[in-house]
Amino acid sequence: MAIVRKMLIQFMLTVVSIILISGLPVLFLTKSLPLYWGKVKEVGTSLLHPGHLEYIRYKHSRPLFPDFVDPYFYSLIILLTSFILAFFLAQLLAWLTMILPEQIRAAIKNLLTFLESLPDLLVFALVQIFIVFFYKQTNILLSDVASVGEQRIYVIPIMCMTILPLIYFYKMMVLLSEEESRKPYFEFSRAKGLRKIYVLLFHVTRNTHETLFHFSKTVLWFMISNLLLVEWIFNINGITYYLYSDFRPEIMAVVLIFIAFPFFVFFAFLEFLLSIRIRQEVGA
Amino acid sequence: MIRSVKFWIGCFVLAALVGSSLVHQFVFDSNIKKVVVLYNEKDEAVKAAPLPASLEMPFGTDRQGYDMFAKVVQGAKYTIPFAILIALLRVVIAFFIAIPYAFYFPLWARKGLEKLLSSFYYVPLTILAIFLLQPVLTEQLSGDKEYFTYSFFMRIFLEVSILTLLVVPLVSVMIGNMITAQLKEEFIQSSQVLGAGKLRIFMKHVVPHLLPKLFIVVTQQCVSALIIFAHLGYFQLFIGGTDVCYAPFCDIPPQSISNEWSGLIGEYYQNIFAHPLIALGPVIMFGIAIYSFNLVTEGLQTHFESGRQREKADREEEKEDKIVTGSTNFKFINQEGA
Repeated sequence: MAIVRKMLIQFMLTVVSIILISGLPVLFLTKSLPLYWGKVKEVGTSLLHPGHLEYIRYKHSRPLFPDFVDPYFYSLIILLTSFILAFFLAQLLAWLTMILPEQIRAAIKNLLTFLESLPDLLVFALVQIFIVFFYKQTNILLSDVASVGEQRIYVIPIMCMTILPLIYFYKMMVLLSEEESRKPYFEFSRAKGLRKIYVLLFHVTRNTHETLFHFSKTVLWFMISNLLLVEWIFNINGITYYLYSDFRPEIMAVVLIFIAFPFFVFFAFLEFLLSIRIRQEVGA
Repeated sequence: MIRSVKFWIGCFVLAALVGSSLVHQFVFDSNIKKVVVLYNEKDEAVKAAPLPASLEMPFGTDRQGYDMFAKVVQGAKYTIPFAILIALLRVVIAFFIAIPYAFYFPLWARKGLEKLLSSFYYVPLTILAIFLLQPVLTEQLSGDKEYFTYSFFMRIFLEVSILTLLVVPLVSVMIGNMITAQLKEEFIQSSQVLGAGKLRIFMKHVVPHLLPKLFIVVTQQCVSALIIFAHLGYFQLFIGGTDVCYAPFCDIPPQSISNEWSGLIGEYYQNIFAHPLIALGPVIMFGIAIYSFNLVTEGLQTHFESGRQREKADREEEKEDKIVTGSTNFKFINQEGA
C-alpha cells in the first residue's frame, strides 16, 4: 500500500507540473505574470470539468470527449507494440551476439554506434522510400505510406518506431551482459560445468534487468517524441493530432496527462515486481 | 594525451565541419553557387533546377537552383556551436545544483526530489519544446503587419535557455547521484576520519573523479541538443526565428534567417518523395555530426577506463613496495594527472 500512496503522490506532482508548464506560452506571448497565473488557474479548473473541453476541427469547435478516446487508444497501441517489440527483439539479438566470438562482437558494437547515430527523421524517410521503392519494383504494397481519413495503418508507424529503440536496447544489453560476464559468478558457474548459454539466459539476463528498467524510461521518453513526428509524417489521426490542432494550454495539459498516465502505471507495476524480487533474494 | 582513434576522428570531423563553414564565410563571403539551368557542350539546355546530386554538388540543388551542399556548409557554424553551448550550459548549471543536492540534502529529501524531477520522464522534450518555443520563434501576424514578439538576441537567448532549463532537472539528478556514489567510496570515509571538511573532500576527492564523467555527459547532451534541433526544424521552429510569409498566394515555405540545419530540414523535408537527396542532405549532416559526437564519447570512455586500469595496476605495484620498505605511502590522485 505504501507503494500505491507514493505513486499517487508522484502522479499528482506530475499533473501539477504539467499544468504549470502549460501556462508558459501565455507568459512568453504577453510577458505578464498575472495573465500567466490566470491561465494556470483556468487550466486547473477546466481539467476538473473535462466534459466541457473543446477542440477545433476544420475551424469548428467540437467537444474533446468522446472524440479523443479512439485516437488515444490507437496511439497507445502503436507506442506499446513498438516498445515491447523493440525490447524482445533486442533481447534475442543480444543473446545471439553474446555467443559470437569477441572480434565479431567488437565489430557489431562499432556498427551499433553508427546505427544509433542515425537521426530519427532519416530512419522514417528511409522506411518511406524503401516501401515506395519496393512497390515500384515488385508491385507489392507492404503498407500504405499515409493514412487517409479514418483508415488506420499499423505496420509502417510501428516499423518506424521500433527500429531506433531496438538499436538502443540492443547496444545497452550487449554492454551490460559483457560487464556481467566479467564478474566472478560467471566464471564460477562456467567452472562448475554449466553451459555458457544457460548462464547467459538465466543469470546474466536476470541481473541486467534492473539497469534496463531504468534505461527503458529514457527510451520511452524518446519514443513519445517520435510518436509526434511519426503521426505528423504519416498523417495519422492519433493523440498528437489534438496536440497540434490547436496549441491551447488546456488541450496540451489533457493530452500530456493522458500520455503520462498509462506509462506511469506500467512503470509503477514493473517497479513493484522488481522490489518483490529483490526482497525475495535478500530474504533467501 | 588521449590515445583513442575514435576520439580524434570525431573531433576532426566536427572541427572540419565548423572550420569549412567559417572559411566559406570569411574567404568566399558565404557565396552560394546558383545553377538554374545546366547546359551540355553544345550549349543546349539539359536540365533545370532542382538538379540531381553530382560530384560537384553532392546534395544537388534546390528549386531555386542554389547548391544544397554549400547551404549545408554555411549552416554548420550555427548548429554545431549552439548544440555545444546548450550542452555545456545544461551540465554546468546541473553541476551547481547537484552539489548541494549531494552534500546537504538528507536521504529522504533526495529521494523525494528525485521522484518529483523524474516526472519529467513522462513529458517528452520535443513536445514541450515545440509548445514553448512556438510563441517565441514564429513570426506573428497582427492586422497586416508581420512581427516577432522578441528581438533577435532575445529569441536566441530564450531558445537557448528553454532548451537548457527543460533538461537541467534530469541532468542534475544524474550528476547528483554520481557524486553520492562517489561519497560512499572508502577513501572518502578515511579522509573524513582524518578530519577533512566538506570543501576539501569536494575539491580533492570528488572533483578529480567527476570531471572525466562530466565530459562524457557533455558530449551526450550535444547529441540530444542536435536531435532536438532536427525535430524543431521539422516543425518549422528554427534557431533564431522562423520567417513566415503571410502574404496571400505566397508559396515560399517558412524560412530560417540563416541557413542553419534545422531551417534546412524544415524547408526541404517535404520534398522527400520527389527529390530524396535534396530533402535528406541536411538530415544526413545531422547524422554525421551526431556520429562524431558519439565517437568522441566512446573515445573518452575507453580513455578514462584504461586510465583507471593503469591506476589500479600502479596501486597494486605500490602495495608490494610497501611490504618491502614498510613505509606508508599515500597517493594523491591529482598529482598524476588522472
